[in-house]
Amino acid sequence: MSKPHYDREHHAKKATGIGDPQCFKGEAGKAKFKVGDRVRIRNLPDVFYTRCQVYTRGAVGTVTELVYESPAAEDEAWDNTDKPEWFYSVVFRQKELWPEYPDLYAEDTLESEFSERWLEPA
Amino acid sequence: MSSSTREKVMKHLDAVGYLQPAVHKPQHAPYPDEIDHTMYRAYTRSAHDVGGEPDVPMAWEEKEEEQWELNTFATCECLAWRGVWNAEERRRRQNVDVGQTQYLGLPYYGRWLLTAARIMVDKQYVTLTELVNKIDEVKKRYE
Repeated sequence: MSKPHYDREHHAKKATGIGDPQCFKGEAGKAKFKVGDRVRIRNLPDVFYTRCQVYTRGAVGTVTELVYESPAAEDEAWDNTDKPEWFYSVVFRQKELWPEYPDLYAEDTLESEFSERWLEPA
Repeated sequence: MSSSTREKVMKHLDAVGYLQPAVHKPQHAPYPDEIDHTMYRAYTRSAHDVGGEPDVPMAWEEKEEEQWELNTFATCECLAWRGVWNAEERRRRQNVDVGQTQYLGLPYYGRWLLTAARIMVDKQYVTLTELVNKIDEVKKRYE
């Protein structure tokens, strides 16, 4: 049996001297969302791998920042860097995530990052 | 095979018996109509996605890394520098591919080390035969 041919240095060649995720800048195309947009986290299947926390699925939050362009974790985890996406920082009210969260702390928030595939307009 | 090997085998079989997740349902090779969508998702989720799960408090221990843990970190970083894996592939393998039992049961750097060996085999830098023979050779130095 022969070994598969694979350039294991493809990422190093792209990122050396530039950095990651800076090396993917300009590759994600036009961003679907902007700062201030209300978004809902999609409930996509989570077989094999994801970095999208299950407790955020279906919750509504607000985009606070377009953070960078990068392959989504679900692709990068198999070293596939062909389709970078926009990453967004999204802020939620804690009460939105945890129904039993005390009303006394209704202003508490949680902020996390999501690649574009996980967001839909709310 | 020496009797101490048999003792170790029996001890191992006992230990495996302790590893069943604490779900109070029979779960050996269920028939398809015994697994609904909720249980299917529970079994196939990413094991590292633990936020929001009910749990009991854990004791916090102030403890320095042991030497093998530092060595393991350096080894894994070298594998990244040489393009064997990127950080996301490393996380996928050490947090999710290991499965729930190993994710919860092994020390943090134990998972790093196991995964470093695994990727060398998966990507054919060493064969499992070479790895097993090497582990056996090193073990003998301590007998």
